[in-house]
Parts: sequence; structure tokens; C-alpha cells
Amino acid sequence: MGRIISKRAVTLVFVLFSVTFLTFVVSHLAPGDPIRNMMGGRQDPARYAFLRHLYGFDQPWFQQYLTYLAHLLRGDLGYSFKYPQRPVWDLIATGVPVSSELGGLALTLSVVVGLPAGVLASLWQNTWRDTAIMGLMLALYSIPSFVIIPVLWVADLALYKAGLPSLPVAGWGRPEQLILPVLVLAAANAGFIARLMRNSMLEVMRQDFIRTARAKGLPQRLVILRHVLRNALLPLLTVLGPATAFLVTGAFVVENLFAIPGVGYLTVQSIGQRDYPVIQATTILLALAVVIMNLITDLVYPLVDPRVRAE
Amino acid sequence: MTEIATPAETSLTSRPWWTYFLRNRAAAASGVFVVVAIFLALVGPWLYQELTSPEQRQGRDGIYQDYQAINMGPSAEHWLGTDYLGRDTLARLFMAVRISLLVAFVVEALNVGLGGGLGLLAGYFGGWADMLISRLADMLFAFPGLLLAILVSAVFGPTARELYGGTGRLLLVASSLSLVSWPLMARLVRSETLSLKSREFVLASRGLGASHARLILQHILPNVAWLITVAATLDVASVIVNEATLSLLGLGIEEPASSLGLMIFRAAGLIERYPLQVFIPAAAITSLVLAFSFLGDGLRDALDPRSRQAS
Repeated sequence: MGRIISKRAVTLVFVLFSVTFLTFVVSHLAPGDPIRNMMGGRQDPARYAFLRHLYGFDQPWFQQYLTYLAHLLRGDLGYSFKYPQRPVWDLIATGVPVSSELGGLALTLSVVVGLPAGVLASLWQNTWRDTAIMGLMLALYSIPSFVIIPVLWVADLALYKAGLPSLPVAGWGRPEQLILPVLVLAAANAGFIARLMRNSMLEVMRQDFIRTARAKGLPQRLVILRHVLRNALLPLLTVLGPATAFLVTGAFVVENLFAIPGVGYLTVQSIGQRDYPVIQATTILLALAVVIMNLITDLVYPLVDPRVRAE
Repeated sequence: MTEIATPAETSLTSRPWWTYFLRNRAAAASGVFVVVAIFLALVGPWLYQELTSPEQRQGRDGIYQDYQAINMGPSAEHWLGTDYLGRDTLARLFMAVRISLLVAFVVEALNVGLGGGLGLLAGYFGGWADMLISRLADMLFAFPGLLLAILVSAVFGPTARELYGGTGRLLLVASSLSLVSWPLMARLVRSETLSLKSREFVLASRGLGASHARLILQHILPNVAWLITVAATLDVASVIVNEATLSLLGLGIEEPASSLGLMIFRAAGLIERYPLQVFIPAAAITSLVLAFSFLGDGLRDALDPRSRQAS
């Protein structure tokens, strides 16, 4: 147990180092002198030197990286290029709760849809019901979000034209504005979870202890509920990390097409403004979200699965 | 995907791989679809222009903006109508599919070269080479989904455009997407190579004094070629979606060039009045993605020695 945790800790540190280091190096390679760009037409040597020092460009690059890292540990993400002397955190702080809410709801919905879909498909294995469910889930998994969005828009528009209750297609703030983006964001993960759940159920059903449970005369319903489902649910925990990774990429598309002021939207805006410190910060934040989810998986898994604990 | 029943009298090697492949209807149909798509991407634009009178040819080049014919529906002159600038939609669709496949081709060339090559080296030599390559791949793996590709194309996008224009953007998109692809390829090829290098036929050849180059190229490479083919084919599906995503976010292909993501993004605002302009590229990307997925699955079932033995 202790060995597993120390191994995970090493992996965690390596991942955090990789993300911060590569992000820093790539942003650092951006061409042009950011201070000169920032100052525009007015070139005042004293102010130039002051800004250069403030942003740390007067130091060698590895020194800058270490300073950046030290600041990061204190929660300081540096200063924006576009709005001089304005902390990056001020610019993205409003986006973090928005994206978290969107992602959290989408993750919940994908489990609520994907889990029963996978379980039912496994119980109806190789019947037309199984094929229909898994076909739908494959479609949800493989059709890109920017294809699902227009389809939903047109369907919504048809509702509106028919005088039926319809949903807002963009914006943020009201609960009904959440529905469409959450649906789209949940789609891929629902398909992913359903496939995983079906495989996991079928895997457990083949085990000897299930045969034993059946042989002792336990009703099918109880075999499924007490033995199969409980064991088949375990791998679902490992989905947390990859599912969050899906959400990160999905958030860029969904937030931009639905005009939702989350982290993905702010990042794309900063890209247009060549505000590299903001891009750097959001990249690290989003990667961190996945790291945290993987960490939760690692910590919770031994608690629910005695086999992992015993290793 | 489908279960392959092998009659007892046929041995493993008696039938070529394509008989297995052709039995999988979805995969065979997808193969045909992919060939047709490649053919259309190559000669479609030329053919489409040839099919009209010389005076009208320019209207079908996908660049020419006919302000007298903005947002037109399908007609004899413009088979799939025109867009918001009066450009021919079918011509732009051909251009977009060409870009999609071209990006996919460049990414897979890099993916096979870098990922396959480094995977072979890491698996065969082990030691510090393996250490170096595997840690590098792990560093890139630390970024969830498209995040690294978004960062790289955001930082270098303006430079690529200034230096090499549209070609620069295309190459940047391809190289940033290959950063997402090759670590997985390297990991797959490495583990396969690792298991092959201690097999009897390799040891025998080594005992006879074969050089490293000969062992890798003559004995190991032919036995991992199927894996590289399958992994690259399956990766094409995600590259197509990723290229469209980057272009949609304004980080990939730019006007006047065409991309499926760009077409969807430009037409999304007009969806209420001209839904067809969104649905045409959306249908194209969905069918391309599904075709490459089914093709990859079919190739895996036909080429993977283990899946054939299992059936």
C-alpha cells in the first residue's frame, strides 16, 4: 500500500513537471519581444526595464521557469501581456467555476446515461436491444460535438417554430441555458462509459463466483445486483481521468459555440490576443484538473477494492 | 467487431488476411468509401469544373466569390449550393476533404516514422534509449487530449502564417497533431517489440550473427507492421476530428483554404436559414470518421495474429 502511494507520488510529480515545463518552454518560444509589443508606440527605456524585470525577462530562461514554478505553488499565475500588470488569475477566475459547473454536470449526466445503458446492453447481450443500445452509444462516442450541436440547434428551432417550449441556444447564467451544452458535452463520455460498463459486466459474468452464486440457487436479479454489478462498477472509477480529458477538449468547442464564458472560451480569446501567460495558465489548469481526477481514482480505488489493497 | 468462425480444416496460414477482412461487411464497405473519398479529393475539383461550360468554370473553383449568388440552394450550376460569400459549396467540400486527408496523411507519416521508429528503438535496445524515449512519450502523455496541440498551434500559428502562409498553417496543424499521436504509437510498438525480441526466431537469427539493423528490419519490423498499420488507420479518425476542431477554434486551416471544421463554424451562425450549409460538412466528417474507425477495426480483426488464433 505504501509502495503504491509512493510510486503514484513520483508519477504525479513527473506529470506536473512535464506539463509545467513543456507549457513554459513552448510559450517561451513564442516569437517577438512581448514587452516591446506591450508598450506599443511609446518606447520609454525606464519603463521597458521596469516591465522586463516585472515579467522576469531579465533572467535566464531556466531561472524564469523556476521562478514561475515557485509562483505557481503559491497560486500566482503571473501577469497578462494584453493587460499589462493585470494578474492572469483575475482574467480567468470567472471562467473556472463556469467550466467546473459545466464539466461536473456533464460528467454526472454521462454516468447517469452510460452506466444503465452499458448494464442493460450486457444483460441483453447479442440481442437486437444490445445492438441498438451499443450502436447509439458508438454514435454518441464517435460523432464530434460540433456535428451534434447544429443538429440540436435545428431540432430546438423546430420546437420554437411549432410554438412548443424550446431552449436558449447560447449564453450563460440561467439554468435552462445549461441544458444543451451539458447534453453535448456528456455525449462522448456517455458512449465511452457504456462501452466500458458492458465489457466489465460481461467480464464479471464469466467468473467462477458468479456460477457458484447461480448454482446455489440465488435468483438472477440478486446475482446481478449483489455480485455482478458490485464488481463491474469498480473499473468505472478509472474512467474519471480519461473522462475529464475528454471534457477538457470538449469544453473548448462547446464553450465557444455556445458563447459560455468558461476557461476554454477565455483561452481561445487570449489566443487571438497573443496573451501567452493566460494560455500558459489555462493549459496548466486544465491539465491539473485531469491530474487531480487521476489522483482521486488512485486514492479511492484501494478503499473499494481489497485486491488492490492486498497487492 | 464480428465473430470470425474458422473451420477446423483450415490452418492459420492457409488463407490470406484479406479474406478475413472482406467478411467484415462494415469494414469492407468503409474501405471502399475511403478509396472513393481519396479519389474524389484528388480529382473531384477538376472533374467538377470540367463538367460545366468554360465560362462557368471559375464559379466552381471554391474560391471565386459570386455576390449575385449568395447562400443559394442546390442548383444545376452549384450542385450543393453556395455559401455566405457566394462560393460553391461542393468545390469547398472537395477542398476541405482534401485538406483533411492531407493533414491525416502527414500526421500518420510522422506518427509511423517517429512513433513507430522510436518505439522499435526503445523496445529493441532497452536501457537508456528506452528510458529516454519512454519518458519523452510520458511527458507528452501528461497533456490531456488536444491541449498540447492547441497550445503549440496557438503559439506558433502567427509565425507559421507569416513565413509560409497557408502551407505553413497546414504543416503546423499536422505537426502539432502528431505530438498528440506519436506517443501512443511508440508505446504500442515498444511493447510489441519487447515481446518479439526474445522470441526463438529472433534469438536464432542473432545466434547466427545477424546485425542489429538486420534483426530490426528483417525480423521485428515485419512482425509489428500490422500493429503500425492498424494503429495509424484508427488514429486517422481522431486526426480528422482534431484538425476540424483546431480549424473551428481558429487555430488550424484559415480562409481562403477550406476545412470541414471551418465550413461548419462559418455556417453555424446561419443555421436557422441555411441548415444545409452546416449539414453537408457535418455529414462528410461523420462519415469519414466512422469509415476510418470501421476500417481500422476490420484491419485489426484481420491482421492481429492473436485475434485470429482466438477465433
